[in-house]
Amino acid sequence: MTECDRIQEWLGAWLDGELPSAKAAEVKLHVEKCAACAAEKERIQRLDAALKRALEARVSDAAFAPFWAGVRDRIAREKSWRDRVFDWMRGVLAFPRLAWAIPVAAVVLIALFSTVRYFGWFAPTNLASVESIDGHGFNVALLREAKTKTTVIWLFENQETEDDNSVEPAASEQAF
Amino acid sequence: MELTERDLIRNCQKGDAAAFEELAAKYYRRVLMVILGIVHHREDAMEVAQETFYKGFRNIKSFQGGSSFYTWIYRIAVNLAIDFQRRQKRGAADLRENMDEVAAEPDSLGTDPYRELRDRELGDKLLAAIDELTADHKAVILMRAVEGLSYKEIGRIMGCSEGTVMSRLHYARKKLQEKLGPDL
Repeated sequence: MTECDRIQEWLGAWLDGELPSAKAAEVKLHVEKCAACAAEKERIQRLDAALKRALEARVSDAAFAPFWAGVRDRIAREKSWRDRVFDWMRGVLAFPRLAWAIPVAAVVLIALFSTVRYFGWFAPTNLASVESIDGHGFNVALLREAKTKTTVIWLFENQETEDDNSVEPAASEQAF
Repeated sequence: MELTERDLIRNCQKGDAAAFEELAAKYYRRVLMVILGIVHHREDAMEVAQETFYKGFRNIKSFQGGSSFYTWIYRIAVNLAIDFQRRQKRGAADLRENMDEVAAEPDSLGTDPYRELRDRELGDKLLAAIDELTADHKAVILMRAVEGLSYKEIGRIMGCSEGTVMSRLHYARKKLQEKLGPDL
């Protein structure tokens, strides 16, 4: 890379006043003594100026009134949309329609309660239930535990009546 | 008594559309110029510029005053124009049609007919050349050459570093110089 290549990389930033002072001084010194870099500098200046002129010429006849009318239309459309939402909300919340609130609240509460029940939130830590069926010559007892989803079945022979004080059956008498 | 820009912004934030109209009247041409340079088609540029000021009005409450109003509105304009250009890149035929339409418009600048003609031709070539740049490169050179924004301001608008602005600008100028060749 020649000295000119290096300087020309900085020319644009130098013209834009964006180089640190030491670098800017170096570029300036080089441009003053180098015809090629001075010509390149002028080309950049012509390019920027031509671009600005070209665009200025193309918007010079853009009147403000029709431009602002377009912006105002958009703002008006936005307002009417808001108004529609507010109108709808006012209508729904108006006194005769307040009756909606009761079934809606009921549905929300049922949904909430079902969800809580389904996921078991706030449920007691462990629940077990025992059921028994007494038959002629046979007794059946079921123990169901919710937490571990365990079911235990006891079959008893020749115990016609329930005796709360009776001792637990031996392990050999159990059937699963 | 004429209101300052800060007063106008404060009034806008209270919902005063007339105050925003004053701000729009001050900046719409400059915003339109940059958008036109990016989207290339005048009607599209007008639409994007109107959308820019509409969004500006809608979001004026979020303007904290950390930057100047025009930097803030430019950020909206450039982002919308880049999005628009990426979505609806027009074909070469449409561009040529637009160039013809633009060339037929009277040029209000200058009185030297030779210079006017030369400027118009150069302007047409320049805008055709700029359309071949990416949206990011276009935005950077337009904000610098047309608006004279600093690299810091451009970086803030584009969401990139000053170094990135510098390298994009160098690349864009180089490309345009190559395209224009001896016409420049």
